[in-house]
Amino acid sequence: MKGWRPSPPLLLLLPAVIVLAAVVVVPLLLSLYSSFTPFRLTRPETFWVFIGARNYVTILTSRAFWVAFARTVVLLTVALNLEMLIGLGLALLVEKASRGQRILRTIMMFPMMFSPILVGFQFKFMFNDNIGLVNNALQGLGLTDRAIPWLIDGNLAFIAILIAEIWSSTSVFAILILAGLLAMPREPVEAARVDGCTPWQTFRYVTWPFIMPFAFIAMTIRSLDVARAYDIVKIMTDGGPAGRTELVWTLVARTAYSDARMGMANAMAYFSILLSILFTVYFYRKLAAARTQIAAEW
Amino acid sequence: MDQNSLHRVGNKALGIVHGIGLFLAMLVICLPGIWIVLSSLRPTVEIMAKPPVWIPQQLSLDAYVAMFSGVGQGGIPVLDYFRNSLIISVTSTVIAIVIGMAGGYAFARYRFRAKSAMFLGLMLTRTVPGIALSLPLFFVFARLGIIDTHFGLILVYVALNVPFTVWLIDGFFRQVPKDLAEAAQIDGCTRWQAFWQVEFPLAGPGIASAGIFAFLTSWNEFALASQLTRSINSKTLPVGLLDYTAEFTIDWRGMCALAVVMVIPALTLTFIVQKHLVGGLTSGAVKG
Repeated sequence: MKGWRPSPPLLLLLPAVIVLAAVVVVPLLLSLYSSFTPFRLTRPETFWVFIGARNYVTILTSRAFWVAFARTVVLLTVALNLEMLIGLGLALLVEKASRGQRILRTIMMFPMMFSPILVGFQFKFMFNDNIGLVNNALQGLGLTDRAIPWLIDGNLAFIAILIAEIWSSTSVFAILILAGLLAMPREPVEAARVDGCTPWQTFRYVTWPFIMPFAFIAMTIRSLDVARAYDIVKIMTDGGPAGRTELVWTLVARTAYSDARMGMANAMAYFSILLSILFTVYFYRKLAAARTQIAAEW
Repeated sequence: MDQNSLHRVGNKALGIVHGIGLFLAMLVICLPGIWIVLSSLRPTVEIMAKPPVWIPQQLSLDAYVAMFSGVGQGGIPVLDYFRNSLIISVTSTVIAIVIGMAGGYAFARYRFRAKSAMFLGLMLTRTVPGIALSLPLFFVFARLGIIDTHFGLILVYVALNVPFTVWLIDGFFRQVPKDLAEAAQIDGCTRWQAFWQVEFPLAGPGIASAGIFAFLTSWNEFALASQLTRSINSKTLPVGLLDYTAEFTIDWRGMCALAVVMVIPALTLTFIVQKHLVGGLTSGAVKG
């Protein structure tokens, strides 16, 4: 078309859109297609066989998949809630500190610098039943005289993974909530105190509404990246023992690369993508709602 | 006791409780890191000792020396992994920042149709779990012959980083008042000049911290790298860490040393940007 010029924002966004289309969208369409085939890496010709929704039927009737899926949802729900609570507590503690704020804040960010794989490894080390710090400490204090099999018992392994997950991600919440606390004007809190509010009431009705958007920003950021738990679990237990800590993501990896059943793995992967999208959209909505609610002050 | 001094005692007690709580929290945060550093400096015998040796008897840098002295002694080619990590992370960060600047500027300065849907769409591409994305990418890359190359991983990391850099940079541009660029344009600058001479320098520190954030993401990424790399051609440090785990044994000391090597650049960089990072995340696109 002669004389037609694309609008500047479109032009500016074009590189981002192209890269994301090439590396994310198109491959995902491809994997969507292959989830309807019995595709195996070892037998390329199976890529062209169309079997309809049979992979999905197999998955949906598979107990192992549903167990892993439920475990993933439980892990995320518990972890996100605890991270939020602990992060809030930590932020309040640091905000109250009269001296050394800067150094405290730096320490608080410490876990953020650890790659998830390092977190997994370091907690694998600490929870090791023979030489781990946790067992050594428990035995040294005389709380138990046997070696607790942290990463071998299914339930204990779940707790160990949960602790690793919380350790690594609480700082995101703490930092953002602290940013909210520091940005908060003093007057409303003082006014509430003068009017005779108890500390709890002041927190609940004055402070909390103000820092809520910050908490939701943290939630959104975290939910963008929930699948990083894969790295932690991969290192700590690799879904074992005997699938007792299997999450959706480790199941996908096992099905795809160990069993080489790509079609099946892609079908599973779509469930994990759906899960991530649901988490993100949910918190994004909350964020938008919280924003408009206090739009005037912020 | 009158009420005044009672109050004072209460305050003091509260202060002490607060101090203890703060100390415990910081201890829990730091302990794993300290333990790793300590273990990397101790001889393996001491790590394995039963009953545990709490106070290190002898410290040495043997693990680090072994690690950097090549395949023969240390077991794994750390230098190659380090080089790969550095090349891939730096290149993908630079590209992601350029693309992110264009996108962030568009979101911060223009109104256009379906803006917030577009933003959410960009973010959603980031939510795709690495392992889910690795399946089709593995297939496509194998076909294109770019598996186990720097180029393949750089491409992936650019895509991984673009959504977040757009979010952050959008926030930093919003903190620069619109009037400044407009004033420059009235004084005869083109929009292009106004951007480079007024807005870019002001948003500069923020953009730098977005860059460091992108660098850290690439530096630490594992799920995709573990499937798209095969050999010392392109293996990065997080994947290399697995080299220390054999079938049934783990070289704990070597792993700890490599962990320290991995964390130090990340630590330094995060320390530099911490202030801007929070600012960028809390203002910006989510503000509507």
